[in-house]
Amino acid sequence: MARIAAQTTVAPGRTGSRLRAVVKGARDAPLVAIVILGGLILVALFADLIAPHDPTLPVKGANVFDPPFWMEGGSATTPLGTDFLGRDILSRLIYGARVSLIVGLMGTLVAGSIGTALGIASGYVGGWVDQIIMRVTDAWLALPAIVFAIFLAAMVGPSMWNIVVILGAVYWTRYARVIRGEVLTLREREFVKLAEIAGASRWRVIKRHILPNVMNTATVLASLTVGVVIIAEASLSFLGVGVPPPEPAWGLMLSEARPTLMAGQWWLTVFPGACILLIVLATQLFGDWLRVRLDPQLRNL
Amino acid sequence: MRRPRFEARRALRLLAVALILISVGSATSQLSSPAGAAAKGKIVLAWHAGFASRWLDPQEHDGTATPDNFLTALHDALVKNQGTQLYDHPGLAERFTIAADAKSATFTLRKGIKFHNGEPVTPQDVKFSYENYRGAKADVFKKKTERVEIVDDRTIRFVFKEPFLDFATLFGTANVAAPGWVVPEKYYKQVGADGFKQKPIGAGPYKLLHLEPGVKIEMEAFDGYYRPVNVKQLVMISVPEPATRVAMLERGEADIIYFVPGELINKVGKLPGVTLAPVLSGSFFLEFPGFQDPKNPFHDKRVREAVSLAIDRRAINQAETAGMGKPTGNWINPDVQYAIEWPEFERNVDKARQLLREAGYPNGFNVDWVTPLPSFYSRGERVIAQLREIGIRGRLQTMERGIFLQRLQGGLKDWPGVQIILHGARIGGSWSFWYEGHFKCGGFNSRDRICVKDLDGKFDQYERSINPTERKKLAEEIQRGILENYYLVPVFRHAFVNAIGPRVVAQKWQDVFPTITTGYAYPWEDLKVKE
Amino acid sequence: MRQFIIRRILYSIVTLGILSATIFLIVRLTGDPVALMAEASARPEDLDRIRHQWGLDRSWPVQYVTFMQNAFRGELGKSFNYRLPVSELYFQRLPNSLTLGLAATLISLLIGVPAGIISAVKVNTAWDNVAKGVALLGLSIPGFWLGLVLILVFSVWLRWLPTSGAGDWRHVIMPALALGWYFAASMLRLTRSSMLEVLGSEYIKLARLKGLPDVVVIALHAFKNALIPVFTLAGVNMVVMINAAVIIEVIFAWPGIGRLLYEGIFQRDFPLVQGVVIMAGFMIVGINLVVDILYAFIDPRIRLTR
Repeated sequence: MARIAAQTTVAPGRTGSRLRAVVKGARDAPLVAIVILGGLILVALFADLIAPHDPTLPVKGANVFDPPFWMEGGSATTPLGTDFLGRDILSRLIYGARVSLIVGLMGTLVAGSIGTALGIASGYVGGWVDQIIMRVTDAWLALPAIVFAIFLAAMVGPSMWNIVVILGAVYWTRYARVIRGEVLTLREREFVKLAEIAGASRWRVIKRHILPNVMNTATVLASLTVGVVIIAEASLSFLGVGVPPPEPAWGLMLSEARPTLMAGQWWLTVFPGACILLIVLATQLFGDWLRVRLDPQLRNL
Repeated sequence: MRRPRFEARRALRLLAVALILISVGSATSQLSSPAGAAAKGKIVLAWHAGFASRWLDPQEHDGTATPDNFLTALHDALVKNQGTQLYDHPGLAERFTIAADAKSATFTLRKGIKFHNGEPVTPQDVKFSYENYRGAKADVFKKKTERVEIVDDRTIRFVFKEPFLDFATLFGTANVAAPGWVVPEKYYKQVGADGFKQKPIGAGPYKLLHLEPGVKIEMEAFDGYYRPVNVKQLVMISVPEPATRVAMLERGEADIIYFVPGELINKVGKLPGVTLAPVLSGSFFLEFPGFQDPKNPFHDKRVREAVSLAIDRRAINQAETAGMGKPTGNWINPDVQYAIEWPEFERNVDKARQLLREAGYPNGFNVDWVTPLPSFYSRGERVIAQLREIGIRGRLQTMERGIFLQRLQGGLKDWPGVQIILHGARIGGSWSFWYEGHFKCGGFNSRDRICVKDLDGKFDQYERSINPTERKKLAEEIQRGILENYYLVPVFRHAFVNAIGPRVVAQKWQDVFPTITTGYAYPWEDLKVKE
Repeated sequence: MRQFIIRRILYSIVTLGILSATIFLIVRLTGDPVALMAEASARPEDLDRIRHQWGLDRSWPVQYVTFMQNAFRGELGKSFNYRLPVSELYFQRLPNSLTLGLAATLISLLIGVPAGIISAVKVNTAWDNVAKGVALLGLSIPGFWLGLVLILVFSVWLRWLPTSGAGDWRHVIMPALALGWYFAASMLRLTRSSMLEVLGSEYIKLARLKGLPDVVVIALHAFKNALIPVFTLAGVNMVVMINAAVIIEVIFAWPGIGRLLYEGIFQRDFPLVQGVVIMAGFMIVGINLVVDILYAFIDPRIRLTR
């Protein structure tokens, strides 16, 4: 009986039709975004081959605060200059792509997973489970994120993966609310009701009907959250609980170089800042395009 | 015959008028004391951290080298560290004597000294301040003091149970302890300890106008102070961001700023009218927790010596403080009692490698973590890079300051494996406080991580001794023992680089920072602003 | 309606309970704060004494119960660091945080809304792309960097504005700009999409067909409807801003709640952190409650939601 129900529904947004929508829209794909993201991913993967120097060690023969090669005092061995320890900025930017991508993507993944799971549980199961989850969400939103971040970092020690967990733990609430709203609507749809009547277990319904349909929203939310998470990494570095040195991370580079802004060594902040700008631009463009492709109703997100 | 009489009467009248004028004049000048008459202008100090309210109350001195910045403005002590005098500059007391057997100390208060509320400073207040003191080293004072005698209306005598040789340094160094800083007994009891911290009343050159907790302290010259106070308003603002402090200095919003970070030292030095004040401050040194374990590579003295030979102290000094620090020899600052001078350590990378080979590490070895005092991470990174040259490979460990202090407290169990700690400390008074805190078995910072038995034994001898010559000899032996065996490897004495703005009168920076035992700009009453 | 209100109030209470328990646990899980409060020469007996003095030696449930009991009486404890009741410190700093939050919200609206409208009206033209570029800048520049650049340009180079601290409107502009910039970007995007939606609606099409000039169409009809979600977001953002302004407050030495909290965390000032988070939570939950009830008045369908 369950099989019949599954076959006869025309569920919008089933995996197949979603992919079809994406592929159809490939013609007006955001070329810029794809080029940037693709480039960053390649850079991150092949950092060892591309980077001219070790990002954590001072470059032999270079001074601290060398300017970029086109300025007086710069040299081609350190084309974008050196930092306060004499490390090559270009190499740090290249390796930093790794960190930013991991923190950005994984952090979003963690936040999205937790949020979507809780959103589905809340919306579908309902009852007091829903109430508890919603109250926890409210409480979480009222908790200042920094308190949470600083204490978590203090407890488990700062490391890149801990930052991923922290950021995930801070940003899941965005998803929970929105997904819950989606699920509440979905519940009332015919194909879901039919599946339930046909005796499908809750798990089955969630897996086959609910989850695929909320993935659209979740994906769009995710693409918009990546930028936020990457900026949050910079903020955490400012507060002293970000990715710990000497690991090169763009946000950390920006934060460490704060005093040099006043001292006129602009290259220490402009280059990491430009990188952050690029990745946020790319994810935003990508997210916008996804939103239009996958579900026009989500335009107001 | 008439003329002389006329002259005489006139002369007498003139004399009488003159006498009256003189007596009136001297009476009024006694009523208006040296301060207040000339106090004008305002100085704004940009403080580099937050404000803790306990720093306004000498009774709860926390033993760090921070409260003295505030205590010296609002309060005063019988004797204190000022200028080049380490602990015995007269303050509220115009003179003092320590008995030859070191079993008593007698202080005589100045005449006419007052608290900010107009009440006179009496020996009773001194006695109360001493007996009620609950801050750092309070246990030592309580244990050793038999009684406090009020000899007369200006004299107090502290009588000790046994010879108390460290009394003077403990009593008179404001960044060690503060039982000699006098608070008004009646007022203190009336408002309570917490109330006192909101509205402190002391006998210092400045009285509190307004306190915004954690944000700003506004003070005004106290015209009842026994020394002239030049600047009328003294304002201290908490500005935690270094770039903002520099901007304030540039724009003239702050007249003195503390702690210019390494990257900005050159720029600040070039600002028009600004004088850099590179005050020599805390000492940075390496510790090897767990080196007593035979399996630990640092157990071998040659390895520790190799570390010392590999470190480029001058490069660190140049990079971190624009060369304004000092790559000194001893890990203990020279401004404390019995500290020995030690020549700058040699740098010899080849010799270091040689020693490592001899010790059985021809290819170096791995160190689990190198942990610098938060948040001086860049120094840690420089040390790591330098050690890498001789094959010692370590990773930087960062942690929040609170966690770092907790781990120190935890002792060896919180530092497993092969580790190096880069400590930084500024301790005043006596060399023994350095030893006690950072080396001795059970010390507040050292806990069980070092524990060198023979040196600790000598230290006990030092503490029990009542012979100054013997003490000095033991002090020197112990310090030599530490340095010759490289139990601790000193790195450098860093400069707490401050900056003085154009409005403050300063021929040289020492005019504003004359006190060698501190990095702060006191005595505050001596600061002057240009017309 | 009354049922709705009662239900919502109950929810708020539960939320606050969860919040207080969470923050209570979090501050304690980082270990013993006493090491940070004692002097450098303290011995274990001193540490014990301090622990006892502040009640930290009792079991956690006992501490929590005591804390909640006191909280109901309005006593949120005394700060270790400032020796003042936490509520007093909070209310001392609150006006500053509100000022900053309000100013930042205003700036975000003043920048975001007009830009969003222009962007929507001139959709897919150069103006639109410029606006989108501005939005992108807002989303990708960290606040602390922007704050420092503003200080550099306007305080140091141009000498127009003071660098830091609280005071008159000149002190507020830069921190408000640094804080509101990010939210301006989201305002812009929301206004744009909201306007596009309204502009594409049947009602507007009819108005246009009737021959009403564009300006009138926009000003009278589109504007009003498009802005409801925008103002909702502004309200939410303002509340978020008050809590999230830490970095801006540190950079500009602004005496707000964010900085109070931040410094309290690093000093392990338990009562302060707990108290501030509870008070801030109270405020947020309270505002949400009021907004929910207002919405229920406006839109009766909402009264039926769970």
